[in-house]
Amino acid sequence: MTKTLSRRDFLKLGGLAAGATAIGNFLPPLVAKAAREAGLLDPNGDGYIPTICEMCVWRCGVLAKVKGGRVVKLEGNPDHPHSNGKLCARGQSGLMNTYDPDRVLHPLIRVGQRGEGKFRMASWGEALDLVTSNMKKIKDQYGPEAMLFSSTHNLSQPAFENILYAFGSPNYGTQRSLCFNAMIVANLMTYGMQEPDRDYAHIKYLILTGRNLTEAISTSETSALMDIIAQGAKVVYADPRFTKTASKASVWLPIKPGTDSAFHLALINVIIGERLFDQSFVTAYTSGFEQLSAAVTTCTPAWAESITGIPADTIRRIAREFGAAAPYALAHNGWRTSNFVNSFQTQRAITILNAITGNWGHALHPVGGEGAGGLGSVPQPPYPRISAARLDGVPWKYPFVPLNIGIFQEMRDGALKGDPYQPHGWLISRQNPVLDLPDRQKTLELFGKLDFIATIDIIMNDTAWFSDVILPEASYLERYDPLNVVGDKAFLRQPVIDAQGEAKSALWIFKEIGTRLGLQDYFQYQDEQDYINQQLKPLGTTVGQISMHGFAALRGGRPNEMTWNTPSGKIEVYSTILEKGGFDPIPKWVDPPQPKDDQFYLLTGKVGQHTQFGTQNNKLLHKYEDTPRVWIHPDAAAKRGIKDWDVVQLASDAGQINAAVWVTSAIRPDCVYMTPGYGHLSKGLRTGYGVGASSSVLHLTYTDPISGSQALSQTYVTVKKA
Amino acid sequence: MPSDTIKRHGFVIDISRCIDCRACMVACSVENTVPYDHTRIWVHDQGVQGEWPTLQRTFVPYNRMHCDKPPCTEVCVSGATFKSKDNGLVLVDQDACIGCGFCVDACPYEARYIDQERGVVDKCTGCVQRVETGQAPACVQTCLGGARLFGDLNDPTSTVSAALAKASTALRLDAKRPDGASTGPNIYYVNAPASMVSLLTTDGFGQMEKSVPDTSQFSIAEEVWKKVLIPGLGLAAVAAFGVQAIFFTKQLLEGEKENEE
Repeated sequence: MTKTLSRRDFLKLGGLAAGATAIGNFLPPLVAKAAREAGLLDPNGDGYIPTICEMCVWRCGVLAKVKGGRVVKLEGNPDHPHSNGKLCARGQSGLMNTYDPDRVLHPLIRVGQRGEGKFRMASWGEALDLVTSNMKKIKDQYGPEAMLFSSTHNLSQPAFENILYAFGSPNYGTQRSLCFNAMIVANLMTYGMQEPDRDYAHIKYLILTGRNLTEAISTSETSALMDIIAQGAKVVYADPRFTKTASKASVWLPIKPGTDSAFHLALINVIIGERLFDQSFVTAYTSGFEQLSAAVTTCTPAWAESITGIPADTIRRIAREFGAAAPYALAHNGWRTSNFVNSFQTQRAITILNAITGNWGHALHPVGGEGAGGLGSVPQPPYPRISAARLDGVPWKYPFVPLNIGIFQEMRDGALKGDPYQPHGWLISRQNPVLDLPDRQKTLELFGKLDFIATIDIIMNDTAWFSDVILPEASYLERYDPLNVVGDKAFLRQPVIDAQGEAKSALWIFKEIGTRLGLQDYFQYQDEQDYINQQLKPLGTTVGQISMHGFAALRGGRPNEMTWNTPSGKIEVYSTILEKGGFDPIPKWVDPPQPKDDQFYLLTGKVGQHTQFGTQNNKLLHKYEDTPRVWIHPDAAAKRGIKDWDVVQLASDAGQINAAVWVTSAIRPDCVYMTPGYGHLSKGLRTGYGVGASSSVLHLTYTDPISGSQALSQTYVTVKKA
Repeated sequence: MPSDTIKRHGFVIDISRCIDCRACMVACSVENTVPYDHTRIWVHDQGVQGEWPTLQRTFVPYNRMHCDKPPCTEVCVSGATFKSKDNGLVLVDQDACIGCGFCVDACPYEARYIDQERGVVDKCTGCVQRVETGQAPACVQTCLGGARLFGDLNDPTSTVSAALAKASTALRLDAKRPDGASTGPNIYYVNAPASMVSLLTTDGFGQMEKSVPDTSQFSIAEEVWKKVLIPGLGLAAVAAFGVQAIFFTKQLLEGEKENEE
């Protein structure tokens, strides 16, 4: 009763159809014009187009399979070091962001009350005029600083920054203070660079402090982790939760929240005390080792046990194993540990641990960074001098936070208090402050005080829902962006289909806004391709020439391995900059505040199927996500009469939410956990709306005085049956 | 095991490498336009095992079995379900399928579903459309942990054969056919960690706690599978729908390969 597949069957199954039916079928294909001209698509509109993923900020290389002008599949680009031929669940689902039935495809102007969700369609001209006339009005009446600007880590950000700095506002919010300011500033103080490259090729020993690599996925790094485990590397994983990464690690340390720096100081104590450090590296390339030695003498494993809950013997063993494996050992500084105001000290301790064991040059390398590698740039005049103080207190209250990073939560709070002045408008691009800032009620309160809010996005996210104007951006599969440098290549994001509806690229939108504000000198490009061609000019190539492979090779090799952009030119174990700022120049244990007896630490983290606050409406990810539940330990649950799947009420000083629970021994009894990004307010998100609850309702705002990092784990909640 | 097909395409799944990221499932859904209320493949989460803080958790990726002796082909009244002589994959000719669902009931692995919209039976095809053009199945290509491997089990130089030869343990989910013979599934699970309690799961969505709490799928064979994982125990019968597991020692595997060559 068997039969073989006929040729017809195979054609139907797809893949082979291209070419066979091409001739005689000359309907004009609805495919990206540029891709067709570059020869990436056949006359039927079929083919593969290389581009860059934007489902998170790791930016994997993508080969988009296009059929008849529609994206039908995304593959990891084998030529891109971030993807190596693979994409994660989010990357695989990327075409559903583009084909989301809830896409905003036309400019919208609010007609009802804010938050009512009533909008009318408008022309681009009308919508842009409304945005810029409001901006001008605010500038004329209150000064340019009365406009807030925010945008999250994306490739078109330089053009967005041109709007605000040329307009004259110092008030710029990025998401980084909610994420990894502590790591960036610690790296800057110690190494003089924001984030060195991690090299897994020869790693034998890895300490992950809350770096949940199998759920907070960076495709190539996650794959590298699984490869080194298979090769026999030892992985120590510290986290109050038994995550999926913990299940793959050799050792799970259920560390008490807020105590990561004590753990790392004790490792340093053993490594120095037992002379496991790399003496020649320390002498040649670091400064301040003597002060460190003196400072950590009291940070013994027994001392750390009493703070962290990790047995002293375990700490000593890990230190010895780490020292033995060095220089092929790495203490990963992660994006965040459990995040407290003392997390900066944790990050400093980790950078120092890697330095004194001589892992630099083996497990860590300097990175060129974006904008490096001999690319050209679009000419522009210097920015006008901005005299107004920033609402987020950078640098007048927070001298060490980079200006282009800022402190988002402090900007919100400064604006809300009108301290030092009252802002009146907010322009937001690919950013979702309503959902991602802690203490959501405060953000909504600020929205209520503003005269004008405009949002640029691809869907009706929560922030767009409360905005006055929504400008529809083309999705990442529909547009060009400025080039992205990874290693020795500059990668191209290019449209694989034409933008749907009236959606436009960020580069187009920003230029239109800038021009209407009279700032056209800051936007000296004809269109997106011209922008990229100006970047490519020193390399003697063009967009058309690189679109086939999706990248341009850069000139020049890696930066010198053994130079650091610090005052001493060495790795600063003892930070002279911190000393001048009046902060501890050597990492020091700072006792974090504790929850009260009936309270839990509220932990948040990531899942492999979503990115922060932006993907919950993706139907493919929704299909394969777990129902979001609050994790609680069985003992804590039993004490409160809570059973699995019960709905509970979590309450903090900021607010309260109801959510179903997962009773699991995968979490410490003094903690509860929830996945952020749920609990959307926008009814314009028909898949994501009504799913789960928002951790931002509960989060209190605490800012680390050195790095500006939001102490996300410093919120304590009570739990009871709802 | 003797093979009736020219190629014997199958999966080797390294359980120690699965991180339950679900890239495979999304890739499969997109590649094969799987309806939103169905999934062709899934990852079985064995749950958090042990006492705090000594915990384990194991994830078992699932594909369709592409059996050597598939029961589904024999109950197919239209002749739509067949095992390819060329590549060894069990496929459905959906032009011929009348959607009667007999094969859905006959499959001991619950590997098939009826696509209500199209009125036909659907299942994992091993991404035959990709395989025939030299690509790996979508789930295998994108597997972040490197847990999913695919290839010709008849070819001793294939990646799957090499992975089987190197494996510390190998497991297969054999089901008993009505005639008493084994279905001869072509998925091998290798390098199972000690914490693994069960291979058996049939409900891809129930697994993921999509709706109501449901733990029943864990109870079917848990005890039996624990025993199966003890080396040297050999065969063990499982009640339910007559699924058996065979624990292959290194020697057994090598014997099998000799047979094939």
